[in-house]
Amino acid sequence: MSDTSTINSQGQLLTSDGVPLKDSLRKSLRRTKIRSFLLIIVPLLFLLIMFVVPIGTLLTKSVDDTSINTVFPKTFAQYELWEDKSILPSEEMFAAVINDIRITHKMENSEGKNIGKNLLGKAGTRMTYEFSGWRSLLLKTVKEATKVDKKSKEVIKPYVLEAPYKEKMIKRDKRWGKVEFWQSMGAMKDPYTMGYYLNAVDLRYDANKNIIQKNEYLKIYKTIWMRTLQVSLIVTLACLFLAYPVAYLLATLPMRASNLLMICVLMPFWTSLLVRIVAWMIMLQQNGVVNDTLLTILPCFEGALNFPFIGETFIDLCFGEEDRLPMMYNFTGTIIVMTQVLLPFMILPLYSVMKGVPPSYMKAAQNLGATPTWAFIKVYMPQTVPGIGAGCILVFIVAIGYYISPELVGGKDGLMIGNFVAREMQQTLNWGLAAAMGALLLTAVLALYWAYDRLVGLNNLKMG
Amino acid sequence: MNKIISKTLIAGAISTAMLAGAAQAAVTMVSWGGGYSASQQKAYIDTYSSGEVNLISYNGGLGEVRAQVESGNVQWDIVDVLPSQARTGCDEGLFEELDRSIFLPAPDGTPMDEDLMVDVPNDCVVPQIWWSYVPFHKADTFSGDQPSTIQDFFDVEKFPGKRGIHTWANAIVEMALYADGVAIADIYDVLDTQAGQDRAFAKLDTIKDHVVFWSSGAKPLDLVNSGEVSMSLAYNGRIGGAILNDGADYVTVWDGQVLEEEWLVLMNGAPNRAAALHFLVHASSTQAQADQAKWINYGPMRPSALPLMEANEPWFNTGVNIMEHMPNTDEHMKGGILANPDWWADNGQAVNDRYAAWMAN
Repeated sequence: MSDTSTINSQGQLLTSDGVPLKDSLRKSLRRTKIRSFLLIIVPLLFLLIMFVVPIGTLLTKSVDDTSINTVFPKTFAQYELWEDKSILPSEEMFAAVINDIRITHKMENSEGKNIGKNLLGKAGTRMTYEFSGWRSLLLKTVKEATKVDKKSKEVIKPYVLEAPYKEKMIKRDKRWGKVEFWQSMGAMKDPYTMGYYLNAVDLRYDANKNIIQKNEYLKIYKTIWMRTLQVSLIVTLACLFLAYPVAYLLATLPMRASNLLMICVLMPFWTSLLVRIVAWMIMLQQNGVVNDTLLTILPCFEGALNFPFIGETFIDLCFGEEDRLPMMYNFTGTIIVMTQVLLPFMILPLYSVMKGVPPSYMKAAQNLGATPTWAFIKVYMPQTVPGIGAGCILVFIVAIGYYISPELVGGKDGLMIGNFVAREMQQTLNWGLAAAMGALLLTAVLALYWAYDRLVGLNNLKMG
Repeated sequence: MNKIISKTLIAGAISTAMLAGAAQAAVTMVSWGGGYSASQQKAYIDTYSSGEVNLISYNGGLGEVRAQVESGNVQWDIVDVLPSQARTGCDEGLFEELDRSIFLPAPDGTPMDEDLMVDVPNDCVVPQIWWSYVPFHKADTFSGDQPSTIQDFFDVEKFPGKRGIHTWANAIVEMALYADGVAIADIYDVLDTQAGQDRAFAKLDTIKDHVVFWSSGAKPLDLVNSGEVSMSLAYNGRIGGAILNDGADYVTVWDGQVLEEEWLVLMNGAPNRAAALHFLVHASSTQAQADQAKWINYGPMRPSALPLMEANEPWFNTGVNIMEHMPNTDEHMKGGILANPDWWADNGQAVNDRYAAWMAN
């Protein structure tokens, strides 16, 4: 070493080409860093584009209320000045509404295309979420406030509505005289809102932006959140209970038998979800295979029997037409179908962990005097904890966001939060609410992950 | 060398095929699937010679439409939409407002917009059909008295068995009020009040324990066939399709049916705009509207199509009369409720929330 490196005037070590050793090292380190960064850049970009950006957008959507604020800036400014919110606002606020409508109506995008009409249309949709009837009231007023002379295409006059506005607007549509419409603006006046999150847990803003409970008959989401958790928990436990023995068999049976068993596990796993759900429908419905079988095989006895000591008693031991079990299109149906669908997610991690447990440990424990049961509980089971953890987390996380099975077999009391996210996305177009529910779901999953890390430790997780 | 040549040939063939595809891009039309899409295929697309139209299915709602327009990546050209979505979508600029003068007038010269059974709600819509939510049952379900009114649907004492209803509030709240004795003309006035909505839900409460919910159009037929329910609401075309094509032994109770409009719209920024417009003109013509009734019992939106069908009965493709299966004949309209899409655009969110809460609790 010493013959290739020298020392320069400042006392730094130099390499053979005269560069200080420190710089040379740094350079080569940086090169390695860049090279390894280049190696991960593809997965990193993938993660960024497919994961971080969409979730970020989702989170912004759940609080974003800028669209309505670009339409009604003057009105919302007036709202702040409105003192007693139990009586109608002043003429200034009525005027501000018309003003805002007229300005928005002429708004153009960067290419000079009119977007004002559509902004007002969207505003109508948005406002109806806060109070029913806003849409038609707003669109009707837009028409009246921006009416143009058809012949001259004159934009300014003659408007149907001219100042002073208050009385005329109420005369044109009595809803403008209802203070509830005006009060509902309170929830929309800020560009960022927690309103969607409140909605997702059955709360709402009042006129002064205090958080209050929703009307009793509109409360729905708390029930659904609780049910989502309940279904996911029951399904996870049911899966664990059913999967553990299967995985144990898979791991311990001789190759030939376990291969066959593995195929039995994997075949349904590879079969289309819809096929499996429809198969369950045929099995479990009111006149389905299971009920028909029960009806045929269960003994039927109806009549009076004379028991010693008790005397004559009427006994109805009959499984008749009216006793057919409701197992489909309800909570039970959802649980059964989801358990079957998610079972492989539990079996596979359990199997892979059990496969790695040396059989000699059990033998050793029994050699040292443990009964087979005791050895299984004390020696075998603790070693499968990583598999149990992984399986439970996998099943629970997949279950909590489930949508298609509850939609098809859930009926009235088997629907989960995923079904409501879909409804807001597709039907009511309330994407803010859908995003808020999605974000809450994400939080629940992250919280679970964190709790698992604290309780069991993530390095104890073995996915397979 | 051979390998290189064959590779070049393949590449050439592929690129030629792609070029050809680009030059003759097919119009994409999105509809609901099942017998309904089949009728559109037969009546509009198979009779259209000026270009290719691909018919694909969707589950309704404006979610995908809005996503396509807002991301600037519009894939669809024509969408078949429900009345309230035709309105919201047009307001929001998801659909294009069309020049009304390009559409064909009725044979007697009436312009299309005046040849409609309702006032045209906006300039985006192109007429399609009338369809309805209507109760039905198997002919052998009940012995003795047969259900004949909407009250019977809500009467589980007189007509035992479960009831199939859909998972959203449209139509069912109107039916509930009508069954509770509200005159058809007053239904939406009553629904406009809190007390009126309470009344509708109180009526729904009476069948709550006897309800099985469905959310896809084919489901009510399964429910009735398997005996899961004794009566179900369904889209009238699904019931009619089973009766007319498969000889199903169903009875439709027309009293209390709720009729809904159906429109075609052009996506804003449609990739094949010109070809799609050309096709829309064809698909909305009086003849095409009448032709559709050869394949499904949904009523044409343009009244000018009715005389064409009546005069040429049996009109249905299997050689049976179609008029008695149409929802919008005078006979069936006696107890028919015309849905009010504007009311639903205003109140749909709140009423559907309440309905969902009613379902869940």
